[in-house]
Amino acid sequence: MNATRPAEPAVLARRLAKAYGGRVAVDEIDFRVPPGICFGFLGPNGAGKTTTMKMTYGLATVGAGELRVLGMDITRDRRRIKARLGVVPQETNLDNDLTVRENLVFQASYFGTDVRIARARADELLEFTLLADRADERIQNLSGGMKRRLLIARALVNDPELIVLDEPTTGLDPQARLAVWRALERLRARGVTLLLTTHYMEEAARLCDRLLIMDHGRIVAEGDPAALVREHVGREVLELKLEPECDAEALIASLDGRVDGYDLTDDALTLYAEDAEGALGALDNERFPTDSALVRHATLEDVFLRLTGRSLRE
Amino acid sequence: MALPNEPGYRGLGRPLVPGDLVPSPRYSAAVWMRNARVFSRLWRGALLPTFLDPFFYLLALGFGLGTYFAHGIQGIPYKEFVAPGLIASAAMWSSAFETTYNVYFRMNELRLYDNVLSTPVEVQDLVFGDLAWSATRATIYGCVVLVVVAAFGLISSPWAILIPPLVTLGALCISVIGYAFTTLIPKIDLYSYFFTLGITPMFLFSGIFFPFDRLPGWVEVVAWLTPLYHLVEIARGMATGPDGLQLLVHAAWLAAVTALLFPVPVRALRAKLVP
Repeated sequence: MNATRPAEPAVLARRLAKAYGGRVAVDEIDFRVPPGICFGFLGPNGAGKTTTMKMTYGLATVGAGELRVLGMDITRDRRRIKARLGVVPQETNLDNDLTVRENLVFQASYFGTDVRIARARADELLEFTLLADRADERIQNLSGGMKRRLLIARALVNDPELIVLDEPTTGLDPQARLAVWRALERLRARGVTLLLTTHYMEEAARLCDRLLIMDHGRIVAEGDPAALVREHVGREVLELKLEPECDAEALIASLDGRVDGYDLTDDALTLYAEDAEGALGALDNERFPTDSALVRHATLEDVFLRLTGRSLRE
Repeated sequence: MALPNEPGYRGLGRPLVPGDLVPSPRYSAAVWMRNARVFSRLWRGALLPTFLDPFFYLLALGFGLGTYFAHGIQGIPYKEFVAPGLIASAAMWSSAFETTYNVYFRMNELRLYDNVLSTPVEVQDLVFGDLAWSATRATIYGCVVLVVVAAFGLISSPWAILIPPLVTLGALCISVIGYAFTTLIPKIDLYSYFFTLGITPMFLFSGIFFPFDRLPGWVEVVAWLTPLYHLVEIARGMATGPDGLQLLVHAAWLAAVTALLFPVPVRALRAKLVP
Protein backbone atom coordinates (compact mmCIF):
# COMPACT_ATOMS: atom_id res chain seq x y z
CA MET A 1 0.00 0.00 0.00
CA ASN A 2 2.79 2.39 0.82
CA ALA A 3 4.92 2.63 -2.29
CA THR A 4 6.86 5.77 -1.46
CA ARG A 5 10.42 5.33 -0.25
CA PRO A 6 10.67 5.79 3.53
CA ALA A 7 12.90 8.83 3.14
CA GLU A 8 10.55 10.61 0.77
CA PRO A 9 8.04 12.93 2.43
CA ALA A 10 4.38 12.40 1.54
CA VAL A 11 4.02 16.16 1.19
CA LEU A 12 6.76 18.75 0.99
CA ALA A 13 6.08 22.49 0.78
CA ARG A 14 8.77 25.11 0.23
CA ARG A 15 7.83 28.79 0.47
CA LEU A 16 4.35 27.78 -0.64
CA ALA A 17 2.06 30.77 -1.19
CA LYS A 18 -1.38 31.51 -2.60
CA ALA A 19 -3.40 34.69 -3.04
CA TYR A 20 -6.98 35.02 -4.27
CA GLY A 21 -7.44 38.39 -5.93
CA GLY A 22 -5.50 40.64 -3.61
CA ARG A 23 -6.07 38.57 -0.45
CA VAL A 24 -3.16 36.43 0.71
CA ALA A 25 -4.49 33.06 1.88
CA VAL A 26 -1.21 31.20 2.33
CA ASP A 27 1.94 33.19 2.97
CA GLU A 28 5.18 31.36 2.12
CA ILE A 29 4.90 28.33 4.35
CA ASP A 30 7.31 25.41 4.65
CA PHE A 31 6.32 22.01 5.95
CA ARG A 32 7.12 18.38 5.49
CA VAL A 33 4.76 15.46 6.09
CA PRO A 34 6.63 12.19 6.67
CA PRO A 35 4.94 9.11 5.19
CA GLY A 36 2.75 6.90 7.34
CA ILE A 37 1.79 9.45 9.98
CA CYS A 38 -1.28 11.49 10.75
CA PHE A 39 -0.41 15.14 10.23
CA GLY A 40 -2.84 17.77 11.47
CA PHE A 41 -3.44 21.38 10.49
CA LEU A 42 -5.02 23.56 13.16
CA GLY A 43 -6.02 27.18 12.88
CA PRO A 44 -8.94 29.59 13.08
CA ASN A 45 -11.29 30.02 10.13
CA GLY A 46 -9.50 31.82 7.33
CA ALA A 47 -6.05 30.76 8.52
CA GLY A 48 -5.22 29.16 5.16
CA LYS A 49 -5.74 25.49 6.04
CA THR A 50 -8.33 24.69 3.39
CA THR A 51 -6.36 26.52 0.70
CA THR A 52 -3.28 24.48 1.61
CA MET A 53 -5.32 21.27 1.41
CA LYS A 54 -6.83 22.29 -1.94
CA MET A 55 -3.40 22.97 -3.40
CA THR A 56 -2.35 19.51 -2.20
CA TYR A 57 -5.17 17.74 -4.01
CA GLY A 58 -5.16 19.88 -7.11
CA LEU A 59 -8.29 21.99 -6.59
CA ALA A 60 -6.30 25.20 -6.28
CA THR A 61 -3.21 26.03 -8.29
CA VAL A 62 0.07 26.72 -6.50
CA GLY A 63 0.48 30.49 -6.30
CA ALA A 64 4.22 30.55 -5.63
CA GLY A 65 6.87 28.28 -4.18
CA GLU A 66 7.00 24.54 -4.50
CA LEU A 67 4.61 21.76 -3.49
CA ARG A 68 5.61 18.15 -3.90
CA VAL A 69 3.11 15.38 -3.18
CA LEU A 70 4.17 11.72 -3.09
CA GLY A 71 7.50 12.74 -4.56
CA MET A 72 6.02 14.57 -7.57
CA ASP A 73 5.44 18.22 -8.40
CA ILE A 74 1.72 18.98 -8.11
CA THR A 75 1.85 21.57 -10.89
CA ARG A 76 3.40 19.19 -13.42
CA ASP A 77 2.07 15.78 -12.34
CA ARG A 78 -1.39 16.67 -11.14
CA ARG A 79 -3.19 13.73 -12.75
CA ARG A 80 -0.63 11.16 -11.55
CA ILE A 81 -0.71 12.53 -8.02
CA LYS A 82 -4.50 12.61 -7.89
CA ALA A 83 -4.57 8.96 -8.96
CA ARG A 84 -2.85 8.08 -5.67
CA LEU A 85 -4.73 10.48 -3.37
CA GLY A 86 -7.96 10.24 -1.43
CA VAL A 87 -9.90 13.39 -0.57
CA VAL A 88 -12.55 13.97 2.09
CA PRO A 89 -13.76 17.52 1.44
CA GLN A 90 -15.19 19.92 3.96
CA GLU A 91 -18.63 20.03 2.37
CA THR A 92 -20.61 16.89 1.69
CA ASN A 93 -20.63 16.65 -2.10
CA LEU A 94 -22.02 13.16 -2.58
CA ASP A 95 -23.92 12.40 -5.77
CA ASN A 96 -27.58 12.67 -4.73
CA ASP A 97 -28.79 11.19 -8.01
CA LEU A 98 -27.03 7.90 -7.31
CA THR A 99 -27.33 5.23 -4.63
CA VAL A 100 -24.79 4.71 -1.87
CA ARG A 101 -23.07 1.88 -3.75
CA GLU A 102 -23.19 3.73 -7.06
CA ASN A 103 -21.41 6.68 -5.47
CA LEU A 104 -18.47 4.37 -4.87
CA VAL A 105 -18.66 2.51 -8.17
CA PHE A 106 -18.72 5.70 -10.24
CA GLN A 107 -15.98 7.22 -8.10
CA ALA A 108 -13.85 4.19 -8.99
CA SER A 109 -14.66 4.78 -12.66
CA TYR A 110 -13.20 8.30 -12.35
CA PHE A 111 -9.96 6.52 -11.48
CA GLY A 112 -10.27 4.37 -14.58
CA THR A 113 -11.08 1.24 -12.59
CA ASP A 114 -12.81 -1.64 -14.36
CA VAL A 115 -16.49 -1.85 -13.36
CA ARG A 116 -16.32 -5.38 -11.98
CA ILE A 117 -13.35 -4.56 -9.78
CA ALA A 118 -15.07 -1.32 -8.76
CA ARG A 119 -18.19 -3.21 -7.59
CA ALA A 120 -16.14 -5.60 -5.45
CA ARG A 121 -14.14 -2.71 -4.01
CA ALA A 122 -17.35 -0.79 -3.25
CA ASP A 123 -18.77 -3.70 -1.26
CA GLU A 124 -15.54 -4.02 0.68
CA LEU A 125 -15.57 -0.31 1.55
CA LEU A 126 -19.23 -0.40 2.57
CA GLU A 127 -18.31 -3.11 5.06
CA PHE A 128 -15.35 -1.10 6.29
CA THR A 129 -17.49 1.98 6.91
CA LEU A 130 -20.45 0.00 8.29
CA LEU A 131 -22.77 1.04 5.46
CA ALA A 132 -23.32 -2.37 3.86
CA ASP A 133 -27.01 -2.48 4.80
CA ARG A 134 -27.52 0.95 3.20
CA ALA A 135 -25.91 0.08 -0.13
CA ASP A 136 -29.00 0.60 -2.28
CA GLU A 137 -30.38 3.64 -0.52
CA ARG A 138 -30.43 7.14 -1.90
CA ILE A 139 -28.11 9.70 -0.33
CA GLN A 140 -31.01 11.79 1.00
CA ASN A 141 -31.92 8.93 3.37
CA LEU A 142 -28.55 8.91 5.15
CA SER A 143 -27.79 10.67 8.43
CA GLY A 144 -24.97 13.19 8.67
CA GLY A 145 -22.66 10.60 10.20
CA MET A 146 -23.42 8.07 7.46
CA LYS A 147 -22.76 10.64 4.76
CA ARG A 148 -19.42 11.43 6.35
CA ARG A 149 -18.52 7.73 6.47
CA LEU A 150 -19.53 7.38 2.84
CA LEU A 151 -17.26 10.33 1.99
CA ILE A 152 -14.42 8.44 3.67
CA ALA A 153 -15.31 5.24 1.80
CA ARG A 154 -15.36 7.26 -1.42
CA ALA A 155 -11.88 8.61 -0.67
CA LEU A 156 -10.62 5.01 -0.44
CA VAL A 157 -11.81 3.59 -3.78
CA ASN A 158 -8.37 3.96 -5.34
CA ASP A 159 -6.51 2.51 -2.35
CA PRO A 160 -4.72 5.84 -1.79
CA GLU A 161 -1.31 6.30 -0.20
CA LEU A 162 -2.26 9.72 1.13
CA ILE A 163 -5.69 10.88 2.30
CA VAL A 164 -6.45 14.57 2.70
CA LEU A 165 -9.33 15.30 5.08
CA ASP A 166 -10.70 18.80 5.54
CA GLU A 167 -12.58 18.94 8.85
CA PRO A 168 -13.71 15.32 8.69
CA THR A 169 -15.90 15.41 11.79
CA THR A 170 -17.38 18.93 11.82
CA GLY A 171 -21.07 18.81 12.67
CA LEU A 172 -21.14 15.17 13.79
CA ASP A 173 -22.56 13.84 17.05
CA PRO A 174 -20.09 12.15 19.45
CA GLN A 175 -20.92 8.60 18.30
CA ALA A 176 -20.53 9.48 14.63
CA ARG A 177 -17.28 11.28 15.40
CA LEU A 178 -15.96 8.24 17.21
CA ALA A 179 -16.81 6.04 14.23
CA VAL A 180 -14.86 8.38 11.94
CA TRP A 181 -11.90 8.42 14.33
CA ARG A 182 -11.83 4.63 14.46
CA ALA A 183 -11.85 4.39 10.68
CA LEU A 184 -8.99 6.88 10.46
CA GLU A 185 -6.99 5.05 13.12
CA ARG A 186 -7.36 1.78 11.23
CA LEU A 187 -6.18 3.46 8.03
CA ARG A 188 -3.13 4.89 9.71
CA ALA A 189 -2.37 1.47 11.19
CA ARG A 190 -2.26 0.18 7.61
CA GLY A 191 0.42 2.72 6.74
CA VAL A 192 -1.73 5.30 4.94
CA THR A 193 -0.57 8.88 5.43
CA LEU A 194 -3.32 11.15 6.74
CA LEU A 195 -3.33 14.90 6.31
CA LEU A 196 -6.21 16.56 8.13
CA THR A 197 -7.53 19.88 9.28
CA THR A 198 -9.70 20.24 12.32
CA HIS A 199 -11.17 22.71 14.77
CA TYR A 200 -11.39 20.10 17.51
CA MET A 201 -8.39 19.96 19.79
CA GLU A 202 -9.30 16.58 21.27
CA GLU A 203 -9.47 15.23 17.73
CA ALA A 204 -6.02 16.63 16.95
CA ALA A 205 -4.62 15.29 20.22
CA ARG A 206 -6.13 11.86 19.67
CA LEU A 207 -5.36 11.32 15.99
CA CYS A 208 -2.33 13.36 15.06
CA ASP A 209 1.30 12.37 15.42
CA ARG A 210 2.36 15.82 14.38
CA LEU A 211 0.57 19.15 14.32
CA LEU A 212 0.97 22.46 12.65
CA ILE A 213 -0.86 25.56 13.78
CA MET A 214 -1.64 28.18 11.13
CA ASP A 215 -2.86 31.73 11.52
CA HIS A 216 -3.16 34.49 8.90
CA GLY A 217 -1.64 32.25 6.24
CA ARG A 218 1.49 31.50 8.24
CA ILE A 219 2.69 28.66 10.43
CA VAL A 220 2.84 29.75 14.07
CA ALA A 221 3.88 26.46 15.68
CA GLU A 222 4.70 22.89 14.76
CA GLY A 223 5.43 19.76 16.75
CA ASP A 224 3.88 16.66 18.28
CA PRO A 225 0.82 17.46 20.42
CA ALA A 226 2.44 16.84 23.83
CA ALA A 227 5.56 18.83 22.95
CA LEU A 228 3.44 21.75 21.73
CA VAL A 229 1.61 21.86 25.05
CA ARG A 230 4.85 21.68 27.05
CA GLU A 231 6.59 24.28 24.92
CA HIS A 232 3.81 26.85 24.66
CA VAL A 233 1.75 26.44 27.82
CA GLY A 234 3.56 24.33 30.37
CA ARG A 235 2.07 21.59 32.50
CA GLU A 236 -0.93 23.11 34.21
CA VAL A 237 -3.45 25.89 33.96
CA LEU A 238 -5.11 27.99 36.64
CA GLU A 239 -8.36 29.60 35.55
CA LEU A 240 -9.63 32.46 37.69
CA LYS A 241 -12.81 34.44 37.47
CA LEU A 242 -12.06 37.82 39.02
CA GLU A 243 -14.33 40.03 41.11
CA PRO A 244 -14.86 43.45 39.51
CA GLU A 245 -12.67 45.23 42.05
CA CYS A 246 -9.78 42.78 41.66
CA ASP A 247 -6.63 44.33 40.15
CA ALA A 248 -5.51 41.76 37.58
CA GLU A 249 -2.16 43.40 36.84
CA ALA A 250 -1.19 43.41 40.52
CA LEU A 251 -2.40 39.80 40.90
CA ILE A 252 -0.18 38.67 38.05
CA ALA A 253 2.76 40.61 39.49
CA SER A 254 2.22 38.96 42.89
CA LEU A 255 2.63 35.50 41.32
CA ASP A 256 5.86 36.41 39.53
CA GLY A 257 8.09 33.35 39.29
CA ARG A 258 5.20 30.90 39.77
CA VAL A 259 3.50 31.39 36.40
CA ASP A 260 5.02 31.24 32.91
CA GLY A 261 2.37 33.29 31.15
CA TYR A 262 -1.22 34.45 31.20
CA ASP A 263 -4.19 35.54 29.16
CA LEU A 264 -6.67 38.13 30.39
CA THR A 265 -10.08 38.57 28.77
CA ASP A 266 -12.49 40.82 30.69
CA ASP A 267 -12.79 39.16 34.11
CA ALA A 268 -11.37 35.77 33.06
CA LEU A 269 -7.70 35.26 33.86
CA THR A 270 -5.89 32.16 32.57
CA LEU A 271 -2.51 31.49 34.14
CA TYR A 272 -0.05 28.93 32.75
CA ALA A 273 2.21 27.26 35.30
CA GLU A 274 4.27 24.17 36.09
CA ASP A 275 2.48 23.99 39.44
CA ALA A 276 -0.93 25.65 39.24
CA GLU A 277 -2.02 24.28 42.63
CA GLY A 278 1.00 25.95 44.22
CA ALA A 279 0.23 29.20 42.48
CA LEU A 280 -3.36 29.08 43.71
CA GLY A 281 -2.11 28.42 47.26
CA ALA A 282 0.21 31.40 47.09
CA LEU A 283 -2.57 33.72 45.97
CA ASP A 284 -3.56 36.42 48.49
CA ASN A 285 -7.36 35.96 48.60
CA GLU A 286 -7.95 39.08 50.69
CA ARG A 287 -6.19 41.36 48.24
CA PHE A 288 -7.40 39.60 45.09
CA PRO A 289 -11.04 38.44 45.40
CA THR A 290 -12.12 35.82 42.86
CA ASP A 291 -15.48 34.29 41.92
CA SER A 292 -14.06 30.91 41.05
CA ALA A 293 -10.75 29.13 40.61
CA LEU A 294 -10.00 25.97 38.62
CA VAL A 295 -6.76 24.01 38.35
CA ARG A 296 -6.41 21.65 35.37
CA HIS A 297 -3.91 20.08 33.01
CA ALA A 298 -2.81 22.15 30.07
CA THR A 299 -4.32 21.06 26.74
CA LEU A 300 -3.90 21.77 23.06
CA GLU A 301 -6.83 24.16 23.35
CA ASP A 302 -4.65 26.38 25.55
CA VAL A 303 -1.84 26.24 22.98
CA PHE A 304 -4.28 27.13 20.24
CA LEU A 305 -5.80 30.06 22.08
CA ARG A 306 -2.42 31.34 23.25
CA LEU A 307 -1.02 31.33 19.74
CA THR A 308 -4.04 32.53 17.78
CA GLY A 309 -5.68 34.77 20.37
CA ARG A 310 -9.03 34.66 22.08
CA SER A 311 -10.91 37.19 20.03
CA LEU A 312 -13.56 36.17 17.51
CA ARG A 313 -12.35 35.94 13.92
CA GLU A 314 -15.41 36.45 11.76
CA MET B 1 -23.12 39.57 -0.40
CA ALA B 2 -23.31 36.63 -2.80
CA LEU B 3 -25.42 33.62 -1.96
CA PRO B 4 -23.31 30.68 -0.77
CA ASN B 5 -23.81 28.64 -3.91
CA GLU B 6 -23.62 31.43 -6.44
CA PRO B 7 -20.61 30.79 -8.59
CA GLY B 8 -19.58 34.41 -9.16
CA TYR B 9 -17.85 35.67 -12.26
CA ARG B 10 -14.32 34.38 -12.78
CA GLY B 11 -13.95 35.04 -16.51
CA LEU B 12 -11.78 32.90 -18.69
CA GLY B 13 -8.74 32.74 -16.44
CA ARG B 14 -5.32 32.15 -17.89
CA PRO B 15 -4.74 30.55 -21.28
CA LEU B 16 -4.21 26.83 -21.34
CA VAL B 17 -1.37 24.83 -22.80
CA PRO B 18 -2.68 22.79 -25.76
CA GLY B 19 -2.33 19.56 -23.76
CA ASP B 20 -4.94 20.82 -21.29
CA LEU B 21 -7.48 20.99 -24.12
CA VAL B 22 -7.22 17.37 -25.22
CA PRO B 23 -9.75 15.24 -23.36
CA SER B 24 -8.87 11.70 -22.37
CA PRO B 25 -11.44 9.27 -23.82
CA ARG B 26 -11.28 7.05 -20.73
CA TYR B 27 -12.00 9.78 -18.20
CA SER B 28 -14.55 11.52 -20.40
CA ALA B 29 -16.32 8.18 -20.72
CA ALA B 30 -16.54 7.92 -16.93
CA VAL B 31 -18.26 11.31 -16.78
CA TRP B 32 -20.60 10.32 -19.63
CA MET B 33 -21.46 7.04 -17.87
CA ARG B 34 -22.45 8.79 -14.67
CA ASN B 35 -24.83 11.09 -16.54
CA ALA B 36 -26.23 8.20 -18.56
CA ARG B 37 -26.87 6.24 -15.36
CA VAL B 38 -28.84 9.09 -13.83
CA PHE B 39 -30.83 9.52 -17.05
CA SER B 40 -31.57 5.79 -17.18
CA ARG B 41 -33.60 6.27 -14.00
CA LEU B 42 -35.60 9.17 -15.38
CA TRP B 43 -36.03 8.46 -19.08
CA ARG B 44 -39.56 7.15 -18.92
CA GLY B 45 -40.91 10.35 -17.42
CA ALA B 46 -38.58 12.51 -19.48
CA LEU B 47 -39.33 11.04 -22.89
CA LEU B 48 -43.11 11.10 -22.84
CA PRO B 49 -43.31 14.89 -23.32
CA THR B 50 -40.77 14.50 -26.12
CA PHE B 51 -43.22 12.15 -27.85
CA LEU B 52 -46.17 14.46 -27.33
CA ASP B 53 -44.41 17.71 -28.20
CA PRO B 54 -43.84 17.07 -31.93
CA PHE B 55 -47.23 15.42 -32.08
CA PHE B 56 -48.93 18.66 -31.01
CA TYR B 57 -46.77 20.82 -33.26
CA LEU B 58 -47.56 18.62 -36.22
CA LEU B 59 -51.22 18.69 -35.41
CA ALA B 60 -51.36 22.48 -35.00
CA LEU B 61 -48.97 23.53 -37.74
CA GLY B 62 -48.77 20.68 -40.19
CA PHE B 63 -52.38 19.62 -40.15
CA GLY B 64 -53.94 22.88 -38.91
CA LEU B 65 -52.14 25.92 -40.24
CA GLY B 66 -50.67 23.90 -43.10
CA THR B 67 -54.04 23.30 -44.71
CA TYR B 68 -54.09 27.02 -45.67
CA PHE B 69 -50.92 26.58 -47.70
CA ALA B 70 -52.52 24.69 -50.57
CA HIS B 71 -49.34 24.55 -52.63
CA GLY B 72 -47.07 23.65 -49.77
CA ILE B 73 -43.61 25.20 -49.43
CA GLN B 74 -40.75 24.68 -51.84
CA GLY B 75 -42.83 22.09 -53.61
CA ILE B 76 -43.53 19.91 -50.56
CA PRO B 77 -46.59 19.80 -48.29
CA TYR B 78 -46.23 22.14 -45.31
CA LYS B 79 -46.30 19.32 -42.74
CA GLU B 80 -43.47 17.62 -44.54
CA PHE B 81 -41.59 20.94 -44.54
CA VAL B 82 -42.00 21.42 -40.79
CA ALA B 83 -41.38 17.83 -39.65
CA PRO B 84 -37.55 17.61 -40.02
CA GLY B 85 -37.16 20.96 -38.25
CA LEU B 86 -38.96 19.52 -35.25
CA ILE B 87 -36.25 16.84 -35.00
CA ALA B 88 -33.62 19.59 -34.92
CA SER B 89 -35.52 21.72 -32.43
CA ALA B 90 -36.03 18.80 -30.02
CA ALA B 91 -32.26 18.28 -30.06
CA MET B 92 -31.70 21.98 -29.46
CA TRP B 93 -34.05 22.20 -26.47
CA SER B 94 -32.53 19.08 -24.95
CA SER B 95 -28.97 20.41 -25.39
CA ALA B 96 -29.93 23.82 -24.05
CA PHE B 97 -31.51 22.46 -20.87
CA GLU B 98 -28.83 19.87 -20.23
CA THR B 99 -25.91 22.29 -20.51
CA THR B 100 -27.61 25.08 -18.59
CA TYR B 101 -29.74 24.05 -15.64
CA ASN B 102 -28.47 20.48 -15.34
CA VAL B 103 -24.79 21.39 -15.51
CA TYR B 104 -25.36 24.41 -13.26
CA PHE B 105 -27.04 22.21 -10.67
CA ARG B 106 -24.29 19.58 -10.73
CA MET B 107 -21.58 22.21 -10.54
CA ASN B 108 -22.93 24.75 -8.06
CA GLU B 109 -25.62 23.04 -6.00
CA LEU B 110 -24.44 19.45 -5.69
CA ARG B 111 -20.77 20.54 -5.98
CA LEU B 112 -20.12 17.30 -7.84
CA TYR B 113 -17.38 18.79 -10.00
CA ASP B 114 -15.20 19.56 -6.99
CA ASN B 115 -15.17 15.86 -6.29
CA VAL B 116 -14.70 14.77 -9.90
CA LEU B 117 -11.78 17.14 -10.34
CA SER B 118 -10.00 15.80 -7.28
CA THR B 119 -9.82 12.41 -9.03
CA PRO B 120 -7.61 11.90 -12.13
CA VAL B 121 -10.42 13.44 -14.23
CA GLU B 122 -9.25 16.84 -15.48
CA VAL B 123 -11.37 19.83 -16.53
CA GLN B 124 -11.20 19.03 -20.27
CA ASP B 125 -12.32 15.42 -19.62
CA LEU B 126 -15.21 16.64 -17.50
CA VAL B 127 -16.38 19.22 -20.05
CA PHE B 128 -16.06 16.81 -22.96
CA GLY B 129 -17.82 14.01 -21.05
CA ASP B 130 -20.69 16.35 -20.21
CA LEU B 131 -20.91 17.65 -23.79
CA ALA B 132 -20.87 14.13 -25.19
CA TRP B 133 -23.64 13.19 -22.81
CA SER B 134 -25.69 16.27 -23.71
CA ALA B 135 -25.33 15.39 -27.41
CA THR B 136 -26.31 11.79 -26.67
CA ARG B 137 -29.42 12.85 -24.82
CA ALA B 138 -30.31 15.29 -27.61
CA THR B 139 -29.90 12.50 -30.14
CA ILE B 140 -32.24 10.27 -28.18
CA TYR B 141 -34.83 13.08 -28.14
CA GLY B 142 -34.26 13.77 -31.85
CA CYS B 143 -34.76 10.09 -32.63
CA VAL B 144 -38.05 10.07 -30.74
CA VAL B 145 -39.28 12.90 -32.95
CA LEU B 146 -37.90 11.19 -36.03
CA VAL B 147 -39.93 8.10 -35.19
CA VAL B 148 -43.07 10.18 -34.66
CA VAL B 149 -42.78 12.11 -37.92
CA ALA B 150 -41.87 8.95 -39.80
CA ALA B 151 -45.00 7.32 -38.38
CA PHE B 152 -46.98 10.23 -39.87
CA GLY B 153 -45.42 9.41 -43.22
CA LEU B 154 -43.52 12.68 -43.39
CA ILE B 155 -40.11 11.23 -44.29
CA SER B 156 -39.63 10.70 -48.00
CA SER B 157 -35.95 9.82 -48.31
CA PRO B 158 -34.05 6.76 -47.07
CA TRP B 159 -31.17 9.09 -46.26
CA ALA B 160 -33.12 9.96 -43.11
CA ILE B 161 -31.38 6.99 -41.53
CA LEU B 162 -28.33 9.26 -41.26
CA ILE B 163 -30.19 11.95 -39.33
CA PRO B 164 -29.24 10.67 -35.82
CA PRO B 165 -25.43 11.03 -36.12
CA LEU B 166 -25.87 14.44 -37.72
CA VAL B 167 -28.18 15.48 -34.91
CA THR B 168 -25.38 14.45 -32.52
CA LEU B 169 -23.04 16.85 -34.31
CA GLY B 170 -25.52 19.72 -34.20
CA ALA B 171 -26.35 19.04 -30.57
CA LEU B 172 -22.65 19.07 -29.68
CA CYS B 173 -22.41 22.55 -31.17
CA ILE B 174 -25.43 23.90 -29.30
CA SER B 175 -24.22 22.18 -26.12
CA VAL B 176 -20.81 23.81 -26.19
CA ILE B 177 -22.52 27.22 -26.42
CA GLY B 178 -24.79 26.43 -23.47
CA TYR B 179 -21.87 25.06 -21.48
CA ALA B 180 -19.79 28.16 -22.16
CA PHE B 181 -22.67 30.31 -20.95
CA THR B 182 -23.04 28.22 -17.78
CA THR B 183 -19.35 28.44 -16.90
CA LEU B 184 -19.28 32.21 -17.43
CA ILE B 185 -22.45 33.44 -15.71
CA PRO B 186 -22.17 34.65 -12.12
CA LYS B 187 -25.74 33.71 -11.22
CA ILE B 188 -28.55 31.48 -12.34
CA ASP B 189 -30.99 34.33 -13.17
CA LEU B 190 -29.10 35.07 -16.38
CA TYR B 191 -30.46 31.93 -18.03
CA SER B 192 -33.64 33.81 -18.85
CA TYR B 193 -31.54 35.91 -21.25
CA PHE B 194 -30.01 32.81 -22.76
CA PHE B 195 -33.41 31.34 -23.49
CA THR B 196 -35.30 34.52 -24.41
CA LEU B 197 -32.59 36.08 -26.54
CA GLY B 198 -30.86 32.94 -27.76
CA ILE B 199 -32.83 29.73 -27.82
CA THR B 200 -36.38 30.97 -28.50
CA PRO B 201 -35.43 33.25 -31.44
CA MET B 202 -33.36 30.40 -32.85
CA PHE B 203 -36.37 28.14 -32.57
CA LEU B 204 -38.59 30.65 -34.39
CA PHE B 205 -36.20 32.02 -37.00
CA SER B 206 -33.95 29.15 -38.06
CA GLY B 207 -36.08 28.00 -40.93
CA ILE B 208 -38.18 25.41 -39.11
CA PHE B 209 -41.52 27.08 -39.83
CA PHE B 210 -40.90 29.16 -42.95
CA PRO B 211 -38.24 29.39 -45.64
CA PHE B 212 -36.14 32.49 -46.22
CA ASP B 213 -36.73 32.98 -49.95
CA ARG B 214 -39.34 35.75 -49.63
CA LEU B 215 -37.52 37.59 -46.83
CA PRO B 216 -34.74 40.19 -47.13
CA GLY B 217 -31.34 38.59 -47.69
CA TRP B 218 -29.88 39.67 -44.36
CA VAL B 219 -32.39 37.53 -42.45
CA GLU B 220 -30.88 34.38 -43.85
CA VAL B 221 -27.37 35.73 -43.22
CA VAL B 222 -28.22 36.17 -39.53
CA ALA B 223 -29.80 32.74 -39.42
CA TRP B 224 -26.71 31.30 -41.09
CA LEU B 225 -24.74 32.37 -38.04
CA THR B 226 -26.80 30.18 -35.72
CA PRO B 227 -26.22 26.44 -35.22
CA LEU B 228 -29.88 25.50 -35.38
CA TYR B 229 -30.21 26.82 -38.96
CA HIS B 230 -27.56 24.35 -40.11
CA LEU B 231 -29.07 21.47 -38.20
CA VAL B 232 -32.53 22.23 -39.64
CA GLU B 233 -31.12 22.37 -43.16
CA ILE B 234 -29.32 19.07 -42.61
CA ALA B 235 -32.40 17.36 -41.19
CA ARG B 236 -34.66 18.64 -43.98
CA GLY B 237 -32.14 17.62 -46.59
CA MET B 238 -31.83 14.10 -45.22
CA ALA B 239 -35.60 13.73 -44.87
CA THR B 240 -36.39 14.88 -48.42
CA GLY B 241 -33.25 13.91 -50.33
CA PRO B 242 -29.88 15.54 -49.60
CA ASP B 243 -27.63 17.76 -51.63
CA GLY B 244 -24.15 16.41 -50.89
CA LEU B 245 -22.24 19.69 -51.04
CA GLN B 246 -24.81 21.61 -48.97
CA LEU B 247 -24.73 18.86 -46.38
CA LEU B 248 -20.96 19.04 -46.19
CA VAL B 249 -20.97 22.82 -45.71
CA HIS B 250 -23.53 22.67 -42.91
CA ALA B 251 -21.77 19.82 -41.13
CA ALA B 252 -18.40 21.55 -41.47
CA TRP B 253 -19.88 24.74 -39.98
CA LEU B 254 -21.16 22.84 -36.94
CA ALA B 255 -17.91 20.92 -36.45
CA ALA B 256 -15.74 24.02 -36.79
CA VAL B 257 -17.77 26.13 -34.37
CA THR B 258 -17.80 23.29 -31.83
CA ALA B 259 -14.03 22.91 -32.02
CA LEU B 260 -13.44 26.65 -31.87
CA LEU B 261 -15.64 27.16 -28.82
CA PHE B 262 -14.51 24.08 -26.85
CA PRO B 263 -11.67 25.95 -25.08
CA VAL B 264 -14.11 28.53 -23.69
CA PRO B 265 -15.90 26.32 -21.13
CA VAL B 266 -12.68 24.45 -20.35
CA ARG B 267 -10.90 27.67 -19.46
CA ALA B 268 -13.84 29.21 -17.63
CA LEU B 269 -14.51 26.06 -15.60
CA ARG B 270 -10.86 25.83 -14.63
CA ALA B 271 -10.87 29.48 -13.56
CA LYS B 272 -13.94 28.77 -11.44
CA LEU B 273 -13.10 25.44 -9.84
CA VAL B 274 -9.30 25.29 -9.89
CA PRO B 275 -8.45 28.93 -9.15
